[in-house]
Amino acid sequence: MIAPRTIRSLKRGLSRNALAKVGIAIVVVVLFVAIFAPFVAPDRPGTQNLNESRQPPIGFEKATTQEVPVKENGSVVFEDGQIVTENRTVYENSSWDHPLGTDGNGRDILSRLIYGARVSLLVGFFGTGLAMLVGVTVGLTAGYYRGKVDDVLMRSADVMLAFPSIVLAIALIGVLQDALEQSIPDPFVQTGVAPAFRSALGLPTGMPESTTLPGTIIVVVALVNWVWFARVARGEALSLREESYVKAARALGANDASIMFRHVLPNAITPILVLGTIQIAAIILLESALSFLGFSSANISWGFDIALGRQYQSTAWWISAMPGLAIVITVIGLNLVGDWLRDALDPGIEGEGGV
Amino acid sequence: MSLARFLIKRLLQGVFVVWGVVTIVFGLRVIAPGDPANVLLPPDVGPEVRQQVIADLGLDQPLYVQYWEFVSGIALGVPEGLFNIATGQPVGGLGLGTSLTTGTSVASRVGRSLPATLELAIMATVVAVVIAIPLGVISATNRYSVPDYGATLFSLAGISTPNFWLGVMLIIVLAVQLDLFPTSQRAIGIPGVVDLLVSGQLVAAAEGFRTWLWYITLPAITLGTYFTALITRLTRSGMLDELGKTYVRASRAKGLPDALVRYKHVLRNTLIPIITVVGLQLGTLIGGAVITEFVFDWPGLGQVLINSINSRDWPMVQGSLIVIAVGFVVVNIVVDTLYTLVNPRVGFD
Repeated sequence: MIAPRTIRSLKRGLSRNALAKVGIAIVVVVLFVAIFAPFVAPDRPGTQNLNESRQPPIGFEKATTQEVPVKENGSVVFEDGQIVTENRTVYENSSWDHPLGTDGNGRDILSRLIYGARVSLLVGFFGTGLAMLVGVTVGLTAGYYRGKVDDVLMRSADVMLAFPSIVLAIALIGVLQDALEQSIPDPFVQTGVAPAFRSALGLPTGMPESTTLPGTIIVVVALVNWVWFARVARGEALSLREESYVKAARALGANDASIMFRHVLPNAITPILVLGTIQIAAIILLESALSFLGFSSANISWGFDIALGRQYQSTAWWISAMPGLAIVITVIGLNLVGDWLRDALDPGIEGEGGV
Repeated sequence: MSLARFLIKRLLQGVFVVWGVVTIVFGLRVIAPGDPANVLLPPDVGPEVRQQVIADLGLDQPLYVQYWEFVSGIALGVPEGLFNIATGQPVGGLGLGTSLTTGTSVASRVGRSLPATLELAIMATVVAVVIAIPLGVISATNRYSVPDYGATLFSLAGISTPNFWLGVMLIIVLAVQLDLFPTSQRAIGIPGVVDLLVSGQLVAAAEGFRTWLWYITLPAITLGTYFTALITRLTRSGMLDELGKTYVRASRAKGLPDALVRYKHVLRNTLIPIITVVGLQLGTLIGGAVITEFVFDWPGLGQVLINSINSRDWPMVQGSLIVIAVGFVVVNIVVDTLYTLVNPRVGFD
């Protein structure tokens, strides 16, 4: 399906473009960390420990002066009916147990980011896959049949585009609510491989046995973003349907569905895949916005954790800052890979990007 | 094709899209779970009251009748005969119906929140254009220099940063820690400033404008950053494309000053595709405004939408969706028309 010529131009693009290598490295690391979360997370992402609440990240220890009661032999000292106090320097300690600090409930932020990557990537990949499936089917049908079919399908696509994606997504969530939420068991934890690995290394055990799969969010982002795939697929189908091999297949009596999916689609795959890479980034951004607004049922998610940190914005900036950095780095990685694919393969496509 | 025919064609398309929008918005309410009567009524009312409320809302009618009422109400502004929960009096409206939670007209609520959203969107666009175009030009004319790398890095980071997170960070650093800006809300709007101006209170108006600017700065930066990054990127690549064209070499060979070629010819040709992309991205701008309003407690349409989704106030959800989508369609028509007027190379077809 991928021609040797395509591979050559991809390699050429990679050797010229150092940023593309950075992008690939970021994506590989995030994927690795998300898949092997129960092995690499330093702590349990959901377990609260109020004694370690709001611990700063390594390198951000802060000394503050506080008025504390003077104690003699473990009890407070009174003078004229008042508690005697003194000014003392209090350190907000960081520790290597929590390299990125802890949140308001004393949960390890790094572990939450690692588990949050699972949610973001699941929505990113499944959402893009579903949008691609719907969009490509609609686009190929419209471009292949042209005429009235094309008019009806693409005019409905125009109607979808009249809603900003986040607005349509919010409205659709209002309709679907959490009807499609799923939780998928974590095979590494279920089989006992991860717990054995962790106890061998002396890491805390008791990792979550399942991961939330926010089905509603996946369906919603797909319903919002299929239009971009439909536009690209339609454009390709419009030109490919005039190719001689398509005419030959039709003359041989192949049916329309087989012509569309066996002859037209394989030749239109490059721009669709390039758009797919860019769309994963866009959908991850959309997911994080929806969880930030409180519309996702996933209880560990980058966007949701940013929202959780807002109540500590004057005392513990890192609670909101860290998940946002995770989003920025991941999306930069995906955008760099997308840029590389687009420059190397040059399919000339457009697509909505940001949130 | 003449301008008039172009406009008529574009308007007809717009009407079609608006009809589609209205249909989708109607459909969303129909398939949404939950009974609107539950939003209106306390849980312990008897079945007769419930029946009466459902009949008052017109929800006992067949779907095609409800659909017709909905579409004709929006198109013609027929009062809908709903009642105000507080006063028990029927409430009319501009065809968008009555809020289930407050009993007031959806149209007036949406209308009151519109200026806040428009102010935010316009200021974000101003921020973006004022920063991005010079940055892109500097970047393209000094290729592979430090400013070029800086601008490229900035634009990559800018298109990859979720604006709500940027907003939260700006609040933490500039509002909470450094205390330079307010953390949220909108103390006064442009309509308020205009009122002061009209009533002749010039000092108060100036003070009001300053306050407005002070409050809108962080939200505008939050919403504008993605666009600043995007336009910087487009200006740089567009300018590089144009600088490589033969007319540039010809003008230089002819002895035209470099600056004249760069800023008069090259920049102007670069701006044309930028207008198209900015037009296409207006949806992202409005969508971004929804989240920015949430972060800064900015009283615009986005807040109305989010609050009404959370309280299942469907008439309000429908009203804000329709206004957002129709606004988007109208702006798109305007941008398309301007684009064809500005660019002599594109015909009206």
